[in-house]
Amino acid sequence: MSSEFVETKDGVKVRKLVELKTSTAEEYQKAMLGRVEEFKQKNQKKSQFNSVVQNTFFNTFGAILNLKVNIDKALGEENLKKVNEVIDNILLFGL
Amino acid sequence: MYNLDGTDILNEKYYRKTFSVCPECLNRIPAVVEEEADGKIYMKKNCEEHGDFKDLISSDARYYKWTHYSKEDKDGKIVWQFDKNGEANPPDCVGEDPRGCPYNCGLCPEHLSTCSLALIDLTNRCNFNCNFCYANVLQSGYLVEPSLEEIERIMDHFRNKPIPAIAIMFTGGEPTVRKDFPEICKMAKDKGFKEVIVATNGYGFQQKKGGLEWTRKVYEMGLDTLYLQFDGINNITYEKTRGIKNLMPYKQRVVDNCRKVGLSSINLVATIAKGVTDIEIGNIIQFSIDNIDVVRGITFQPVSLCGRITAEEMDELRITNADVIKEIENQTGGKISMDEAWWPLTTIVEFGRVIAYLADVEPIEFTCHPDCGFATYLVVDPDTKEMVPIMDYFDPLKVIDFANRFWEKIKHKEKAEIQFFENFLGDFGKTLDKGLNFLDKQQLRLRFLLGVLQHMKKPGKLMEMFGRVVMNGDWESISSFTHGTLLLSSMHFQDAYNMDLERVKRCIVHFGVAMPDGSVKEISFCTMNTIHRPNIEKQIAKQVTTKVRDEFDTTTGQEKQVIEEKQIIESEATHNGGIREMEDEK
Repeated sequence: MSSEFVETKDGVKVRKLVELKTSTAEEYQKAMLGRVEEFKQKNQKKSQFNSVVQNTFFNTFGAILNLKVNIDKALGEENLKKVNEVIDNILLFGL
Repeated sequence: MYNLDGTDILNEKYYRKTFSVCPECLNRIPAVVEEEADGKIYMKKNCEEHGDFKDLISSDARYYKWTHYSKEDKDGKIVWQFDKNGEANPPDCVGEDPRGCPYNCGLCPEHLSTCSLALIDLTNRCNFNCNFCYANVLQSGYLVEPSLEEIERIMDHFRNKPIPAIAIMFTGGEPTVRKDFPEICKMAKDKGFKEVIVATNGYGFQQKKGGLEWTRKVYEMGLDTLYLQFDGINNITYEKTRGIKNLMPYKQRVVDNCRKVGLSSINLVATIAKGVTDIEIGNIIQFSIDNIDVVRGITFQPVSLCGRITAEEMDELRITNADVIKEIENQTGGKISMDEAWWPLTTIVEFGRVIAYLADVEPIEFTCHPDCGFATYLVVDPDTKEMVPIMDYFDPLKVIDFANRFWEKIKHKEKAEIQFFENFLGDFGKTLDKGLNFLDKQQLRLRFLLGVLQHMKKPGKLMEMFGRVVMNGDWESISSFTHGTLLLSSMHFQDAYNMDLERVKRCIVHFGVAMPDGSVKEISFCTMNTIHRPNIEKQIAKQVTTKVRDEFDTTTGQEKQVIEEKQIIESEATHNGGIREMEDEK
């Protein structure tokens, strides 16, 4: 939390600059995963987070995303743009 | 962001005609919205009786023009714009007033959007006594408080429409002064509202004795989210805005009690006034970041101007969405920049429609006017531990562009499902067609997910969750995803000076009012508060009779009997703006 304050003449404390740093970075993920746990318990079998198929799919999705980010870097911006256009056309084909 | 396909729109002077109302007599009058040499956008209008009026609409013409840009394909068909018409519900009335919008609210055939957020004023009693508030039983002299039967009727109205409202917000007054507030939350959940919200100063949640149990009860009964009035982190600020001392501990107790019971969805609502709360913007953002386990977002609301004011006062007081966004940029050292981070709410309309169609869920239609509101998500950069706009995670222009094109290709399917086997096999074929439709949706989901995936820039749990939103479109995914983010938005509600009837027609935030004849009137937010409220309330108000006066202290909204029993000293309440120490002890 930023501790750099300026005080106005009527005593309002204002941060000189919001650093946007958070000492609670992990809490964001915890908050999100905490919500997942809540749904798991509350909705039991109905919850997608308890579905083996869904969880397997999204674990794979995570791995693909990781791979894709590395490929993007290797391709470079111009080539990536061309690849994106081709993929767009394939995905929209026949709809 | 401002790459507009080589067009020269940013160098052209902006000009459009619209209609507004005269701030003096509220008659409908023509208006123009145009750019001036100072690089700002103004609304200008003339009332034959009351003269000329001029008001600032946006302090940044460049940004304004970007949000009003539309792109056409070679056939002249619009393929990109932020100004989107919605799938409006059928009108509730014929529009008897020949003057048209905005006098026929209820809803009339001119309205272009459906309701995304239904509002019910639960009471005009309040434990605060802010002098600028329209909902104040003491100032108005009458009590407006729908019965449970009337509330149910309003909820049914919103849920039984062809496109039902998904979210409901209880407003006031201070809704939590009602004893039956928990039951009302349950009723909303039972009626099928996915998101049950209360706009509150925090009264019920912050009570020193009983507040924690009360918070737990309303959470268990169905309350999802608090829109918590939050003007800053300095007590002095609240003294200026609410006339109340030592309010920050009161707000902190609300946050703490929500945390303790697991109610993890607080949206801070900051009314932004020049020189008063605008300097608190950075403080509020940092407060949210530090309480991210329960704070989901912040809504900044540039103050609406009521009553008669001079042109000089107008210059002094008027603050627009663009000012708020710039102030956020300034107070965050440019990290949340106007040019990169902020998008009109309408940006995600097609994206939302695709997801709703693929997931077979009710769509959320943000088809308001581009001037109504702007938003951005902040997320944690795992490398720097710094909050960054979500644009660092994926390219929004490309994702949205793909979603728009995808929706254009598949929207016909929404109205006509596959009927291949039915044509040959009759009823038996219907079952096979169901299977075909299922498979069709699965392949569409996969295509859409891959289309979005290609524009993602960072791996991690958050993007996995975003993938679940895209693939499933269900409440579990959306809610979990938003728990890993902080939503910033700026919503500028209209007043009589800047009212633009193009905005009114696209309003997606509607009040529901149970009328004495048994009907329900659905009225857009800005026209309710600017035009219709006095007339409507006269029809539905319960006069402050002796009985009501006997029951309630109209300043605090509390039962007199309780107050008297605790022997509250009147001078103490005046000193502390109605936040009575004794009340906390009950």
